[in-house]
Amino acid sequence: MAREKDTNEIVALKKVRMDNEKEGFPITAIREIKILKKLQHENVIKLKEIVTSTGPEQDDPKETQKDAPKGAKEKSPSPPDGNIYKGSIYMVFEYMDHDLTGLSDRPGMRFTVPQIKCYMKQLLTGLYYCHINQVLHRDIKGSNLLIDNKGNLKLADFGLARSFSNDQNAQLTNRVITLWYRPPELLLGCTKYGPAVDMWSVGCIFAELLYGKPVLTGKNEQDQLAKIFEFCGTPDETNWPGVSKLPWYNMHRPSIYYKRRVKDVFKQFDRHALDLVERMLTLDPLQASRIIAKDALDAEYFWTDPLPCDPARQVFSIHFLPRYESSHEFQTKRKRQQQKDDMAKRQKPNQHYHHNSRPPPPIQQQPPVQNMRPVPGQAVHPSAHTGGAHQGHYAGGGGGGGGGRGPPGNSNRHPQAGGRPGGSGGSGGSSGGGYQNRNQGGYGIQPPPGAYGGPPPAGGRGGSYPMPPPGGYPQGPPYGGGGRGPPPMGGGGRGGQQYGPSNSLPGQYSGQPYGQPPQQYMDMDGNYRNY
Amino acid sequence: MAANFWTSSHCKRLLEQEEISVVSNDDRDRGLTQEDVKIIKIYFSSYIKKLAQRAKVRQRVVATAIAYFRRVYTRKSFSEYDPRLVAPTCLYLASKAEESTVQAKLLIFYMKQIGSDENGFRYDIKDILEMEMKLLEALDYYLVIYHPYRPLVQLLRDAGLSDMIEMCWSIVNDSYGTDLILMHPPYMIALACIYISCVINERDNRLWFEESRVDMTVIKNIAMQIFDFYDNYRLGFEDRIGAILLKLSQKS
Repeated sequence: MAREKDTNEIVALKKVRMDNEKEGFPITAIREIKILKKLQHENVIKLKEIVTSTGPEQDDPKETQKDAPKGAKEKSPSPPDGNIYKGSIYMVFEYMDHDLTGLSDRPGMRFTVPQIKCYMKQLLTGLYYCHINQVLHRDIKGSNLLIDNKGNLKLADFGLARSFSNDQNAQLTNRVITLWYRPPELLLGCTKYGPAVDMWSVGCIFAELLYGKPVLTGKNEQDQLAKIFEFCGTPDETNWPGVSKLPWYNMHRPSIYYKRRVKDVFKQFDRHALDLVERMLTLDPLQASRIIAKDALDAEYFWTDPLPCDPARQVFSIHFLPRYESSHEFQTKRKRQQQKDDMAKRQKPNQHYHHNSRPPPPIQQQPPVQNMRPVPGQAVHPSAHTGGAHQGHYAGGGGGGGGGRGPPGNSNRHPQAGGRPGGSGGSGGSSGGGYQNRNQGGYGIQPPPGAYGGPPPAGGRGGSYPMPPPGGYPQGPPYGGGGRGPPPMGGGGRGGQQYGPSNSLPGQYSGQPYGQPPQQYMDMDGNYRNY
Repeated sequence: MAANFWTSSHCKRLLEQEEISVVSNDDRDRGLTQEDVKIIKIYFSSYIKKLAQRAKVRQRVVATAIAYFRRVYTRKSFSEYDPRLVAPTCLYLASKAEESTVQAKLLIFYMKQIGSDENGFRYDIKDILEMEMKLLEALDYYLVIYHPYRPLVQLLRDAGLSDMIEMCWSIVNDSYGTDLILMHPPYMIALACIYISCVINERDNRLWFEESRVDMTVIKNIAMQIFDFYDNYRLGFEDRIGAILLKLSQKS
């Protein structure tokens, strides 16, 4: 993180990883820069500029415009011999308070239905924009969805993104998208694919938001496929024409026939949510079966009560989107790790390590661009944040992640520039208590009961938001014209459902924490997990 | 590239002739004239083309590389950044940006094949990679260049002149001998190329141009610059470039 001196604005820095590059400026970074410069949208992270620091010994005028990441640059390990670049290159992004994974991993965190709808709608809007601009994101996952305290959601990390052409002749690599969010066609070796791959990831995110935790959590590629088949059914030529021609189909053909059981597992969710999830998590990537972003935005789910809350309106964001202290995946992960460490001191180690670790990023042919996640300004323990390396936190999940993945892969997720390897021990130990306290107190598991209390009385809700008459929806897609138009206002019954002042009483959209009750923390196999 | 030219950095950064053809103070100190600068640019544009033919990359990459080269020297002087290094580096960078990467070591190999050492073409991989960083900064990381090729195809189809595609296409290729790509929207260059080949082939297409409601004075202006290139600069400058580069390497 840095501060723009002129404007006093906080920004996020992402370091372009330059070492180990025989071919100069990494093409992945070139892609990312090209794409980010092209995409200008409120739901896509904004690349403000690119700055170069020429290293500590020289005083680069550009560097002085920024407060360089404090304590980071100086400590960064000196590049290996043969590296001709003395300085570092940083992409400067607007700063966002949270990422989705970080936010949902907070202990006791529950999203409300309007909140989930709001995030999903923005995710789809941003993605639709990418897709009409012929960009595949190829790494949609919680930690790449940044959220600010107003409830705005932005797609970030275009390090794996690519332009695609509609002729689909280009051979694309199938080694993209973080495992848990990777669609079956990629796992089966498909190299000609399109926007549908992102939609599968969106489906996983959506299911995760509803379900309260990741749903398809394979340990490796084979396991991931097995979990997908178990959940979505075994693919064959009837539910997925052409599947048997995919390169790795025979290798992975399951011996058992599974029935699709998305509906069973998610039966506690409302009909529209279930419909949408079903349309996203289809095995066959073809548009006729797997929904595209544009159609998903038209789904009933987003136009039925309770409507998504609207981050654009301050008044709503205050009431309906809780403000949280900043959280990013690497921080919540760190906190959990510290809790575990604490626990491990008391109990036997290794018992609780598995279920919550996030999957490692996909293997890439090129060393990935280093992620640089912002560090919160208001953090109580800034020293703990800037100093620590995060490698340690992958200890739990890394093992399952399918070997061969060295530190660059793992630590790529959220390292700071110049995190000291192994540095988290000292600071972690000393601040562990602090975090614990904050978890219980400051982080306020649930928003204040007044504003975000339990479900509103059913009667009141019915009165305020009459269900629209069937067929009363405007048929014209509101997302048709390339822009995000306002929600359709015309349909008579709908008018009352817009954010009219009469409906704006706080608390009405709220309530209904949508995670499942604790006893349902079972995984997809039906085994109970001690969460 | 998808997206839209009108919202692109390329569009917002179109320059005027005067901004481009100014000779920087450094270069003037070394005795370079406007004419010299023009020759350097043309020479190295064709050098990039030659190099690209060896490396077997698409025409698009060549066009992007030349556009980079010309854009870099609207901000930097030839004495600061040696064009003999900048030219191959532009091709290297363009090959990445256009998704048909050429390995740096191969590029060096081809450079050795076509360049003679006396001319001072002795750079190494390390130099290319180092220059790449400088170029990225000089280009301000704006790497997307829109070219006239795509609008050309569309326009010809619209005009019902698809049989002239080959001729127009090579005129567009030749337009990279000028700074036009930095000055005009690609579709205007494409129109000018169509205009030229209509004139050459004596095809009367005035009605279509009238209907397209473009500013014909601009089109004719672009066409004049291309004609100027054909008339005066089409031949190589092997003889003169040596003297000019010598000027560059001398301190004033």
